[in-house]
Amino acid sequence: MIISLKDSIKLVGVTVVCFCAVFVCTFMLSFYIDVQQLNGLLTDQNMRLLYQAQKATAQVCAIVTGGVLAVIAVVMLFFYIKIYIDGHAKQFGIIKALGYSNCKIALTFWIFGFSVFIGCALGFGVGYAFAPLVYNGLAIEGAPEIAVNFHIELLLGLVVAPAFVFTLIACGYAYWALRCPLMQLMRGKTAKIKDKSYKANKERSFLKEMCFKTLASKKSVAFFVAFACFCFGSMMQMGLSMENLASKTMGYMILIIGLVLAAVTLFMSVTTLINGNLKNISIMKACGYSLKQCAFSVLGGYVPFAVLGFMIGTAYQFGLLQIMVNIVFKEVAEVPEYTFNIPAFFITFALFIVSYFSVMAFYVLRIKTISVKEVMLEN
Amino acid sequence: MLKAENVVKSYNGSEVLKGVSLEVQNGEFVVILGASGSGKSTLLSVLSGLERADSGNVEYNGESLSQMNDKQLTEFRKREVGFIFQQYYLLSHMTVESNVRMGADLAGNKNFREIISSVGLGDKLKSKPSQLSGGEQQRVCIARALAKNPNILFLDEPTGALDEKTGREVLDYISRLQSERKFTMIMVTHNSNIADMAQTVIKMNSGNIVETYKNTERKNAYAIGW
Repeated sequence: MIISLKDSIKLVGVTVVCFCAVFVCTFMLSFYIDVQQLNGLLTDQNMRLLYQAQKATAQVCAIVTGGVLAVIAVVMLFFYIKIYIDGHAKQFGIIKALGYSNCKIALTFWIFGFSVFIGCALGFGVGYAFAPLVYNGLAIEGAPEIAVNFHIELLLGLVVAPAFVFTLIACGYAYWALRCPLMQLMRGKTAKIKDKSYKANKERSFLKEMCFKTLASKKSVAFFVAFACFCFGSMMQMGLSMENLASKTMGYMILIIGLVLAAVTLFMSVTTLINGNLKNISIMKACGYSLKQCAFSVLGGYVPFAVLGFMIGTAYQFGLLQIMVNIVFKEVAEVPEYTFNIPAFFITFALFIVSYFSVMAFYVLRIKTISVKEVMLEN
Repeated sequence: MLKAENVVKSYNGSEVLKGVSLEVQNGEFVVILGASGSGKSTLLSVLSGLERADSGNVEYNGESLSQMNDKQLTEFRKREVGFIFQQYYLLSHMTVESNVRMGADLAGNKNFREIISSVGLGDKLKSKPSQLSGGEQQRVCIARALAKNPNILFLDEPTGALDEKTGREVLDYISRLQSERKFTMIMVTHNSNIADMAQTVIKMNSGNIVETYKNTERKNAYAIGW
């Protein structure tokens, strides 16, 4: 087998994203279905309105969370497959030279669908385990209790179908990515070198140029860094604001999901970035560039994307809560008014700065341990 | 003067350098000659401050590299050292100009484009390493090292990946530069013919220096065997 199960384990980021998506979707969609039990049982007009609003909330949360995270999981899967093929281009070249077709090699990427299956299955299981807690949190005083029921359609839609679709996507993308000349693969290259005419640009110092080129050559990392900070900014603030709007439990749940998503995405993308630049960093170290300069040249370009991600996240959570409170719950009485939570913003922003730069400091230490000789001996 | 005293270095319990001592005068051209696995590249790494010796001392102009912390070693490499590697180790996603600028910026050298022209790549400023031949890539590596204005130039098998014609051109260029600029040059090679170009030859075998001699007559790159 060309790709082992061990390789799919490296897709822990995709597994975590799938877990979070399916976890939220499971209890939200399950609530959406189970709440129909109350049809005809509620006589109070206000109660009926409240349940309608909660049904809408469950639907919106499942669509937004599930949709956004599914897109992220697909992008992550592409990102990892591309990195995998780039890193193993020579081996794939040799295998092709031996007579294996692109299709046969691409089919071995089915194993990457396994990490999606694991994430979805775990998310589904844990989602159901948490469902009673969520149902309690959403229950209205005086209304009949809603029982948690198992829905086979959710199992099919949230576990079986995503695993199947992601497996197809993995194989299809691998097939597409492997379609480059055999000799090019044997030389360890996958992408064609674009013979762009050089555009005269501003005279930049080497460090700035390196920073710019690293960013340009790893644009997907910028997306993931922004996404990680988006998760951190939006879900932390949403979690802190939830106490007044819903319940503490919901607040903690959102907060934890946000932190897990942010941490996994950031670590995965920055680790990939550093690993992909080991040789460049070691050359810079050999020449006499300091740790700080090496770190700046590789990581510095991503800071604006981190801040941008955080800001978009702030706007997103504000917009989403506004919609929930002012549109979905508009006709329901006793729903507190929602305004921008300034203390939550400042707390989250301070934590964001500290956390982001702590992670970067961790990677500076990682750069410190890169042995120039080891990296060079590997080549 | 670069001086090593009783330098020992091991990897995974296997002793690669077994108490090596040597002296290199400023401005000298030294070749360290030895077969694969003799420890010559490891010695180069230790002498250049890329790695630390397990024991023993390496001294440059009275400063002990063994006593330096990581920051001081980085500063030493920045200030004094240039490297030319067999595998070039260029930044593949950057142009020739940026690769050379990498060395030049460390020394505050604004004339790096002249150096690129002097190695015959003036028309390839905007090319990427993958668009160059092996000889051209090695010349970029040379330009990058020279742009730092190093006082010591370390070369690890600089012609190992080149054909004879290109290899001779590269050696000729480097040795002429060394004669003009009078920097110290320490070259590691397994090719005994190249040793004829050096002032001093240090022969290594199994982690030890087995012979050191001075050439009475130095040959140029086109007069040596290949």
